[in-house]
Amino acid sequence: MKIRLVGGVMLTAISVVLFGSCVSDKDSSGLEYMPDMYRSPAIEPYVDYGEIRGRENMDLKMQQSALTPPYGAIPYYGTNAEDVSMMMPWSILPNAEYASTHGLKGFDFAKVGEDPYENEAKAWDWNPLKLEIEAKLDGGKTVYKNITLDNAKKLFVANCVHCHGEKGDGNGPMMLSGAYTGVPNYADKNDLSDGQLFYSIYYGKGMMGSHAPQLNKKEIWSLVHYIRKFQDGDYDKAAKESVVLKEGENMVTKMVAVKSAPVVPVDTIEDNK
Amino acid sequence: MFRNLSKWCLNAVAATLLLGTLSVNAQDEPKEAAIDGGGLFSSQCATCHNPHKDGTGPKLSGVRSSWEEATGSGDAIIDWVQNWESAVAKYPYAAGVAQKKATKMNKFPNVSKAEVSAILDWVDAQVEPGPVKADGSGGAGGSEEEGGFPWIWVILGVLFIVIIAAVSGVRRQLKIAAGEETSDDSLSYGEEFKKWSWKNLRFVLIGSVVIFISLIVVALQGLGRIGVVENYQPSQPIDFPHSVHAGDQGIDCKYCHNSVTKSRTAGLPTVNVCMNCHKQVAGNDDEQKAKISKIYAAAGWDGEGYTGKTNPIVWNKVHVLPDHVYFNHSQHVVVGGVDCKQCHGDMTKMESTAKVQPISELNKVEGNIVLTRPTLTMGWCIECHAEKEISTGSIDTKGGGYYEEIHRRLLNNDEELYNKYLEDGKVTVKELGGWECSKCHY
Repeated sequence: MKIRLVGGVMLTAISVVLFGSCVSDKDSSGLEYMPDMYRSPAIEPYVDYGEIRGRENMDLKMQQSALTPPYGAIPYYGTNAEDVSMMMPWSILPNAEYASTHGLKGFDFAKVGEDPYENEAKAWDWNPLKLEIEAKLDGGKTVYKNITLDNAKKLFVANCVHCHGEKGDGNGPMMLSGAYTGVPNYADKNDLSDGQLFYSIYYGKGMMGSHAPQLNKKEIWSLVHYIRKFQDGDYDKAAKESVVLKEGENMVTKMVAVKSAPVVPVDTIEDNK
Repeated sequence: MFRNLSKWCLNAVAATLLLGTLSVNAQDEPKEAAIDGGGLFSSQCATCHNPHKDGTGPKLSGVRSSWEEATGSGDAIIDWVQNWESAVAKYPYAAGVAQKKATKMNKFPNVSKAEVSAILDWVDAQVEPGPVKADGSGGAGGSEEEGGFPWIWVILGVLFIVIIAAVSGVRRQLKIAAGEETSDDSLSYGEEFKKWSWKNLRFVLIGSVVIFISLIVVALQGLGRIGVVENYQPSQPIDFPHSVHAGDQGIDCKYCHNSVTKSRTAGLPTVNVCMNCHKQVAGNDDEQKAKISKIYAAAGWDGEGYTGKTNPIVWNKVHVLPDHVYFNHSQHVVVGGVDCKQCHGDMTKMESTAKVQPISELNKVEGNIVLTRPTLTMGWCIECHAEKEISTGSIDTKGGGYYEEIHRRLLNNDEELYNKYLEDGKVTVKELGGWECSKCHY
């Protein structure tokens, strides 16, 4: 009779709907045409290879596909000699207590009692990254563009602004919301050397953690330039003026060193003898 | 002669002392009222110290009275601030304090006695803020069950069948009782149905065609949902509120997902990135503290220092692309200049962990290219490739002029084609080969 028909149709419809959405498990992403293409044995980042197609393999469980590079590995960074030398391990070691205060792993530390931040970073280190400056003719006027600082600004916005603030005054959104305290104004830190700024970003300082895993050395040196610009508005003025358009030229790009190598302190030389 | 000399000396010493005290008084007294302890604290001390929280240095509230108790001198702490090493030599208590924290304190010889005193006054005047109550937006896992299976319709359907069956049963019994039909009528349901269908052949035929077609449509729709992962939100070990981090605190996406500009994957932050802030931010209420303690357990942080005993946090991958698709984040973000929100939605309003945002949500985000196909399907990818304009803007900074070169080659090789591309006023990804199979499948 009618009843049977209606019932049959209903049951079919329900089973079709169920077939289409038979997933109620939150951790399942639903039906896939070719599940082995989603969880294949090929190495993919962030995939646990302990379980492939429902089969458990305890040997591989929780094995990371992304591994820490071997000790002392130097990243390939092109063939530009200046860039490569910048990517070599930094000569200044972190203070010994950083193992516990900043949890640095895979780093060598200075001897207990030494303070490389105060001694070496201040005396020896200067910014090896030259400012890349472009001079362009625009309507009969020379317009300068500071390529290094422009790139550094992007890094600064992504990595620093939430604490240090857009103007580098220590009033980032995290300060203003009251979630975090104790970020200094860059303008108060005029007495720090380039090496000390690098040290603070690379190994961390005080509450700030090490940013070595996030930023490479060239990026950190460009941020050091950017911080200097907060402290001194005319920081790149002399460098800009040294890039001069000659007759018939529309554009010149030049790499300019802001500071040359520091004079080595006399007592250090005597020590070395 | 000698008496005079010694007398003169005495006078001179007395005069110097008097002058000294006078000048000290003259310096201190008018200043004392004007010294801004709070301002000095934030410029000199706040980098390491907090009145009520241990940071790089210990908390300072009540520190003056404990020094006075331990050393019996009100000046001991001032000596410490100006030059902690000389204080260690003078007071045994200071030697103990020097061992408290691994990081050595800076010396502040330029901060005067009165200024230190004003700072300590300001610190002692600070009232400890009580625990802040979570206002719900604080990332309490308010993820509602949405888009679940419509069980209500199933129940209604079953009820409907039962009612029809019951009613028709009653009707049949009534007919039997009225003598219209006899109970020993051997016609079964099936035979009765046959009889009825022959009588109403036209309705039955039309009805079965309609039912047949609708079943096919439903089945095809069901098949079309296979492999569509919209709204997929797997459980995560830590209920991470994106709205607090990216929204309230204004942290850039690229700070935590920092490999997005350099690599194929956007990257999950390692625990040390969490600890860059959470070393200090330990949570205001019990719920937050419980969540953040999971980070501490993973980082091996015991509140004072790193113990070295670390544990991985096992996050569940949300956006999974099949193996036969190649997708590169850096190509899209750096070269293409695509904003994160085009594909991931407005995470500053996402109160819980990441999920695959449905296309309806993505289209609501301001500045997004409006698309129609479901998120993370191929239709969605190539629809965007057909819309998205190749901008020269984001390439400028690279200096290479990657796309400028392509524009130039197009113009030189086939000006007619180039002009055809430019008919709609833009060159899209598709027109530069963004629809070629081997761009993503190889």
